[in-house]
Amino acid sequence: MVPVGACLGLSAVLFGIGLIGFLSRRNIILMLVSVEIMLNAVNVSLAGFSRQLQDQRGQVLALFVIAVAAAEAAVGLGLVLALSRNRPGVNVEDLTQLKW
Amino acid sequence: MPILAGQIAFYYLAAASVASAILAVTRRNPAHSMLWVLALFMHVAGIFLLVGAEFLAGVQVIVYAGAILVFYLFVLMLLDLPREAAGPPFGAHWPLCAAAGLIFAALLWYAREPGLVLTADGSAAGGPPRGSLLAVGTALFTLFALPFEIASLILLAAIVGTVVVAKRKTES
Repeated sequence: MVPVGACLGLSAVLFGIGLIGFLSRRNIILMLVSVEIMLNAVNVSLAGFSRQLQDQRGQVLALFVIAVAAAEAAVGLGLVLALSRNRPGVNVEDLTQLKW
Repeated sequence: MPILAGQIAFYYLAAASVASAILAVTRRNPAHSMLWVLALFMHVAGIFLLVGAEFLAGVQVIVYAGAILVFYLFVLMLLDLPREAAGPPFGAHWPLCAAAGLIFAALLWYAREPGLVLTADGSAAGGPPRGSLLAVGTALFTLFALPFEIASLILLAAIVGTVVVAKRKTES
């Protein structure tokens, strides 16, 4: 029905898009969102492999990936809030000093 | 006929998710990017349905689109960024970044195995039918019981850490 190669290709393309976004965006919130795109790409390939191998463990791993993504979003956005309290704005190019 | 319909649905969902991912990464307004990411998550949930991961599709919609993305939108609107929306969305080194991402995606693309085709009958392992919530739940609470508890510990640590990091320092 659905070739797993197509799932993996879609996963590769989505991961590349997320990687480009993470590396090149200036907004730190959008960098975190690009990380979410990359994690979604990994989930697509895990689901494809789970279907290919007729094994539910791929889906369980994808669930763990979602849990870790939620934790990452919480910690990352907490850091963004703490940063923006010290220095307004979310431009990563302004955050060149480790201490201010 | 359902096989062809499934393939058409898959290629539609794949094209739509790639398009919304590109738009999410390139939009200047962060709120628009968030909405395109929402479209991406919904289409990825459709792909999960199509490959037989119904529970994963539900979790994708509820947790990703319902909780994580709303959390991002809250923070985005809390910060109120008029100045960032006016500036250039990409850093000065964006061609290098685009080259790195494209090379990585090309490597992944060539590492995949295009000949692998999922058969429609799905009677390989003889276990419970694929995609069933029963099978996922059984695996989650037997084979993956320890990782499941560790995941809850990670979430607890994330909650406490977020409160500690984002708490306003009180003068005392």
